[in-house]
Amino acid sequence: METATRVADRLRGRVRLITDRHELRTYECDGLAQYKVIPALVALPRTTAEVALTVQACAEAGVPFVARGSGTGLSGGALPHADGVLIVTAQMRDIVAVAPDDERAVVQPGVINLDITRAATPSGYYYAPDPSSQQICSIGGNVAENSGGAHCLKYGFTTNHITGLEIVTPDGAVERIGGRAPDPPGYDLLGSFVGSEGTLGIATEVTVRLTPLPEAVRTLLAAYATTDEAGAATSAIIAAGIVPAAIEMMDALAIEAAEAAVHCGYPEGAGAVLIVELDGPQSEVDAQFAMVTQLCEASNAFALRVAAGDEERALFWKGRKSAFAAVGRISPDYIVQDGVIPRTALPEVLRRIAEIAAESGVRVANVFHAGDGNLHPLVLFDDAIEGQAERAEAVSGAILDLCVAHGGSITGEHGVGMDKAKYMPRMFTDGDLDTMQLLRCAFDPDGLANPGKVFPTPRLCGEVPGRHRGVHPLQEAGLAEVF
Amino acid sequence: MAAFDDHHPPSARLLSDCVHCGFCLPSCPTYVLWGQEPDSPRGRIYLMEQGLQGEPLSDSMVGHFDACLGCMACVTACPSGVQYDRLIEDTRAQVERRHRRPARQRLLRWAIFQLFPYPKRLAVLRGPLRLYQATRLRLFRGPSTLETLESLAPPLRSVPKLPTFIAAAGPRRARVGMLTGCVQRAFFPEVNAATARVLAAEGCDVVIPRTQGCCGALSIHNGRRTEAERFARAMVDSFDGVDYLVVNAAGCGSALKDYGELLADDPGYGPRARTLADRVRDLSEILIELGPVALRHPLPISVAYHDACHLGHAQGVRAQPRKLLGSIPGLVLRELADPEICCGSAGIWNVLNPEPARDLGDRKARSALATGADLLVTANPGCFMQIAAGVRRAGGRLRTAHTAQVLDASIRGVQI
Amino acid sequence: MDALAALREAIGDAARPAGDADAVAGVPARFVAAPASTVETSAVVRAAAAHDLSIVVRGAGTKQHWAAPPREVDLVVETARMSGIVEHAAGDLIAIARAGTPLHELQHLGDQQLALDGPIPGATIGGTVAANTSGPRRMAYGTVRDLIIGITFVRADGVVAKAGGKVVKNVAGYDLAKLLTGSYGTLGVITECAFRLHPRPAATATVAARAATPEAVGAALSGILGARLAPTAVEVDAPASGGFTVSVQLAGVSVESRVEAVQRLIGGESIEAPQWTYPWDSGDAGLKLTMPLSRIPVVLQAVLGVRERHGVALHVSGSIGTGVLYAGLPATGDVAAVVKDLRSVCESVVVLTAPASLRAGLDLWGPVPGLELMRRIKARFDPDGRFAAGRFVGGI
Repeated sequence: METATRVADRLRGRVRLITDRHELRTYECDGLAQYKVIPALVALPRTTAEVALTVQACAEAGVPFVARGSGTGLSGGALPHADGVLIVTAQMRDIVAVAPDDERAVVQPGVINLDITRAATPSGYYYAPDPSSQQICSIGGNVAENSGGAHCLKYGFTTNHITGLEIVTPDGAVERIGGRAPDPPGYDLLGSFVGSEGTLGIATEVTVRLTPLPEAVRTLLAAYATTDEAGAATSAIIAAGIVPAAIEMMDALAIEAAEAAVHCGYPEGAGAVLIVELDGPQSEVDAQFAMVTQLCEASNAFALRVAAGDEERALFWKGRKSAFAAVGRISPDYIVQDGVIPRTALPEVLRRIAEIAAESGVRVANVFHAGDGNLHPLVLFDDAIEGQAERAEAVSGAILDLCVAHGGSITGEHGVGMDKAKYMPRMFTDGDLDTMQLLRCAFDPDGLANPGKVFPTPRLCGEVPGRHRGVHPLQEAGLAEVF
Repeated sequence: MAAFDDHHPPSARLLSDCVHCGFCLPSCPTYVLWGQEPDSPRGRIYLMEQGLQGEPLSDSMVGHFDACLGCMACVTACPSGVQYDRLIEDTRAQVERRHRRPARQRLLRWAIFQLFPYPKRLAVLRGPLRLYQATRLRLFRGPSTLETLESLAPPLRSVPKLPTFIAAAGPRRARVGMLTGCVQRAFFPEVNAATARVLAAEGCDVVIPRTQGCCGALSIHNGRRTEAERFARAMVDSFDGVDYLVVNAAGCGSALKDYGELLADDPGYGPRARTLADRVRDLSEILIELGPVALRHPLPISVAYHDACHLGHAQGVRAQPRKLLGSIPGLVLRELADPEICCGSAGIWNVLNPEPARDLGDRKARSALATGADLLVTANPGCFMQIAAGVRRAGGRLRTAHTAQVLDASIRGVQI
Repeated sequence: MDALAALREAIGDAARPAGDADAVAGVPARFVAAPASTVETSAVVRAAAAHDLSIVVRGAGTKQHWAAPPREVDLVVETARMSGIVEHAAGDLIAIARAGTPLHELQHLGDQQLALDGPIPGATIGGTVAANTSGPRRMAYGTVRDLIIGITFVRADGVVAKAGGKVVKNVAGYDLAKLLTGSYGTLGVITECAFRLHPRPAATATVAARAATPEAVGAALSGILGARLAPTAVEVDAPASGGFTVSVQLAGVSVESRVEAVQRLIGGESIEAPQWTYPWDSGDAGLKLTMPLSRIPVVLQAVLGVRERHGVALHVSGSIGTGVLYAGLPATGDVAAVVKDLRSVCESVVVLTAPASLRAGLDLWGPVPGLELMRRIKARFDPDGRFAAGRFVGGI
């Protein structure tokens, strides 16, 4: 507390600060409301210089810091540190440049994901990674988590769309890596930073790749009696050599919630719905669409709807995109999981999840990216009933174990944060985790950047041991500068 | 001392509906302006929860509650169905009773509520205001309460008084009461005249009781519950024996539809209030419900339609006005960018918060001007004044009209 | 125990003294070890560390003359015996292969492919990842860093580390696969990689058209991009003899109508897809130029100027769809001056390869933003500077 006061004294008048207790409490959690920690101080910088100043002040005082964009993350990545500073980038929301001739946009980290697309659309471009929270999540947060979205089967994740970053490293220095051109020389610092969940520094400017708006988009909604059938349809589509822009699946319980929330009008009585979207050149989309429709029909879909235009397409998606928050209507509390399995294991895993749910008397609704095997089981419970929260947590963990056992992952897009740090050893050995922490030590030897996240046990960074081989690297650097 | 007492505190059950997803943030005008969690619906809900947990009603908390426009864009955006409108109303009532604001603020609020809910008192201002406008003097500069009031005041013209009864043209399809309002009656009497004509043309007997006063919208939206209940009882008494109560001001319509809730504790008026509330219709709602019959003459203009928050968000009425306007031959309808963001009027919010209101008004004016439309149409007097002021500041030209006036012109075959 | 004995203890006869042929970019080596698995690789590196041996990894040896020569080479770790596809899960569109597997084995996996062009025949997976090589189809599919989903490697202390996994969607932990991509073997010995695959398209076609000037090339590119045809590749070839050829590759279920659309835009005709390779021969200098798309005409104009000013036969070809061009010129030309001129118009110019005699006098990498961070990373992963010392940026 004391050291945070020192930081506040250094920053007062130069960076906007929040110190009022009630206001501090509104920042005590992100989208994962189960975990709450009140930050000692909140800073709201407006520029890179203010971020650097804030981080420098933290570094000098030895105070940890946590970065936060819109606070919609689902793994507690922006959970504050009780003695630390929460650095909120929500006021850094300028779109610095939209350059369609370079297929790039340059934005500040607080810019909302969807707003990049809005700014680029008039030039015939958009920003492809589309998390369900894209109307509010920040690009800085996307960079930290390597966010995905429904369309990442075809278009990749945030890391495939970042070509430049300006970052403030945990010692308060500002580095610019990459830019509008691809392949900067040296180690892939961009690829290392994206998805590092705020543990390597704070991004203060982001250069993103823009994608041309497709000539044609066609979306269909197929209703099935069971998730098995829907899964089989997905396999058939992949086996036919088609990579749709998106294939999403929802089960009966998730459909019920979505319907109550947004009245998307999905076919009644569906045990599962599949939303398949194809995009690209008209001739290609037409050809693929014919194949997909045939495959859906052949796989026993009892209802098939093709979106007639943009409005209907938006309605198909509305149900899917509101699914998480919509389950709030059918259950007082829930845990949203984010496991990944090889897609071919989907039917088996769903069956097991249903069994686990039945055994523990906890309901599980399922929403997932059927194309890439990223599951979002929504474990429903009522915190007011004794023991339910614990059982829900246990079911949650069992589902993750199931994912790892099938060769999958504990997190497809939400990140590890503090929520899944304890599961990391189920997926990685000590050697693996230790090696990852070498990277962390290179950026943050003092352990001030978002400590306590991602890794269950922090590695002490200490001095770098060992002799240097041949000529000292710094001497080498001196020689190189002569050229 | 804890923030809230037992008389209608914000409900813990309603608060628990919030799952903290943040979908409400991008449509909240104060979050759009300031980018700070405590000035977002999610943050305000959090502050309410803190109050329920025993935290005192601090100045900063009250400041954030007061900064809320009550536009309910968050209610539209929320996928979990959080009833934020109920929550903020109950919270405001608690604040009004349990928190002592600084003297200047108390004086300003007192002055506003001595004036705005009393059409006769507003009418007294018309003369001096017309004179002031005729001099073309601008006495006030910069965002301040007085400058805001000055900038908002619309150009006044003389309009004959409305009768208490207007017969339907042709076969009678309904007997409707018409609300004349307060600001609407005093400063936009031509809108009321147009509304009455349109209703009559569409086969309605229109009853306009002289006894009607204020519907209490401003009072209930600003935590003055007792006052609001008083106005509501009087309103219930005024309108008896009508099939519908037709309203042409969005803020009033939304408050009237909540009368059942407002007078729920009153054993005498409660049931009557509920009955009346069920009969309330916005003008565009009733016209679509009845089905338009009056012939529409062409109006070759382009119109930008602005959704007043209390019509779009609070009452969910968006399609009907568009349908009505779109069915006028020759009329081209254009959409504003960011329609869900409030223009900044929000009842008396712009008078109490002149600076941010100016920012929001400027944004809305820019969106409106960007449509290139001839006419801006909306259904709330506050929005008119706010957007017109913003357009003037931007040096633009954009005429404004109420939906009723456009329909009236088309039915009568005159240009608008 | 001496070093060779220690290595033999780790992997038996697969460890031997080095011969002349084992020199790396002219730097003689002392030993060669050829582990057959990750476990054996770990044992080899441990033994090497215990005897303080410097290590350079060799796949097929196709890029020995890339980057700077190593300062010293005690041990060559050869990956030839670590070959083979470990798993191909067609239903999941992934494949896992050992580092010594030739790239071409993954380019045709039944109906699927690792959609990565291999400019140098015979190159292994490990070397491809370590050097981050790519070709025309990067425009549609990305490069190694976009296709790699998991990696296993051995650290300088012999510890085996894994990152990523075998599913396409995975954000658990740091993306070390990307860190190792393009790291030129300076952070560890890559032993296994998992990739995401794509279906092999039913049909492909290439349209090639001549363009007279750099502006014309730019206009052709704008036209193609604006037509939203989703091309697999848009390339330019500018041979030293002069002129520009723009070629557009299309792939998918059906391509005829798009071929016609391309021809309407830029003229030209349908051709057999050329086997793409770098525009230089062995003994030449080979450069990699990167630039934002909008600067392509400026860069091509500069190429013309460079040819004239320095009288060099500069051959440029590459992806105008992504802003990555390759340039080759005979080593007899004034390579340093050419590089300097091109650096003034490009975002970066890297000398990928040049004869040993030239390399010593060249700044191979140009300015490297973030170099200090890179040094810190190297210091953590390889504190003794065991791996490929001196080959990489900033003398790493």
